[in-house]
Amino acid sequence: MRKGLTRTDILVTIMIALIFSVIYKIWGPLYNVLSVFGLHIDQLIYGMWFMAATVAFLIIRKPGVALLAELAAAQGEFLFGGQWGVSLLLYGFVQGIGCEVVFAIFKYKSYHLLTVCLAAVGATIGSLVLDIFYGYIDQLALWNLTLLIVARLIGAILITGVFAFYIVKALEKTGVTKLIRPLSSKDYQSLEKETG
Amino acid sequence: MHFELNYQQTWLHLLHPVLKFIIVLVLFIAILFIHNPTILLYLLIGFGVLYIGWTGHSLKLISLLSIPFFIIFVSSATSMMFFGEGNTTWYQFGLIHITEESFYRGLHLGFRGILFGLLGLLFALTTRPVLLFYSSMQSLKLNPKYAYAFMAAINLLPIMVSEFQNLRNALKVRGVTYDRGVKGFYQRIQRFSIPLLAQSIRRAHRTAIAMEAKQFSNDRTYYYQVSYSLKDLYFITLIVTIIVFSIWLSTIYPVFPVDNVRMD
Repeated sequence: MRKGLTRTDILVTIMIALIFSVIYKIWGPLYNVLSVFGLHIDQLIYGMWFMAATVAFLIIRKPGVALLAELAAAQGEFLFGGQWGVSLLLYGFVQGIGCEVVFAIFKYKSYHLLTVCLAAVGATIGSLVLDIFYGYIDQLALWNLTLLIVARLIGAILITGVFAFYIVKALEKTGVTKLIRPLSSKDYQSLEKETG
Repeated sequence: MHFELNYQQTWLHLLHPVLKFIIVLVLFIAILFIHNPTILLYLLIGFGVLYIGWTGHSLKLISLLSIPFFIIFVSSATSMMFFGEGNTTWYQFGLIHITEESFYRGLHLGFRGILFGLLGLLFALTTRPVLLFYSSMQSLKLNPKYAYAFMAAINLLPIMVSEFQNLRNALKVRGVTYDRGVKGFYQRIQRFSIPLLAQSIRRAHRTAIAMEAKQFSNDRTYYYQVSYSLKDLYFITLIVTIIVFSIWLSTIYPVFPVDNVRMD
């Protein structure tokens, strides 16, 4: 079994990321429209911007995929003229790192719903850190800041965690994930059973 | 699906893509450390002129792309204005508490949002992605694996779009209907996301195998050679001038009564 990312892994990751960057581009105006209502309703859909990382990781299941996917999706959104411009790349980077760290803690071996939700929390933390510099969120009234954090966390867990998990579950049924995932010991065992 | 924008090439198109990218990135980080709204306003005017006059795209497209700026301004400014911290109260109603400090901080965030959007569009409208990737491989020594994967994936996207249209038509022919509201939205996601994602992954996989089969390797020659020119020097000079001029103007004509929106 080869270590690291193969060309197939990279191309598939970037393909997934670019699909998400199209979604992200559409998500921008939607987010803006919601934010006009105030009270951080917009934060409930913020989690969509972390989704490329978890979906790509769940499909390919290798180290580095989450970060690569999030960076590529940000780069794609930037190239398509995303409204946040270059800041997207830095956000993509911290959010990708947030997911990557969580997956690394589980040694890239855990693909449970709970792990994915934790990755969503990791990405949220990453984005919040950058928001202190970009959006001065540390200077909001305390109740308002709490509302922002809670809303973003809920949205992230639902979209980046639960939604991504079930989308990949459905994808598994199509058999497409078998093409690209590294072989697990289970696959070898089933092979031995057939021949033996 | 074929999609092409008509535009005139200006000198901004001829800049070295990676250099332009790095300049925009440095500008972004520098702007994060500017806490004076007056400087941002002057920067906005400076880059605004560059954006309106020199991207080479039609005024119609430019104004169309500028519409979101107003929404960005409102959305990034309001929550800080209404709910930010501050001492000098201007207006209070229920949860809304507008203070002088939070008002200017909100304004500052609004300007910043527009400025980032502007810089991003300035780059996106004047740079061909292909050249950006070629020059990243040549001057940043980006691994060709990543650059070519990116370019291949960009070319696969239009196929996905036409697939989406096919799928929509096919579902319509079969008389599929959706519920109203959130449930209908969920049904649409279910019917479209899985087949589109699965097909795209299969296609990417096949493309990667084909690249492998054709002995794609890292030592290679390039069809496009990207080089630096005098225009890059002009661009850097122009950017520095805009920044220095904005800072200088802000000391003589401060538009807003605050020069630091942060409270420390």
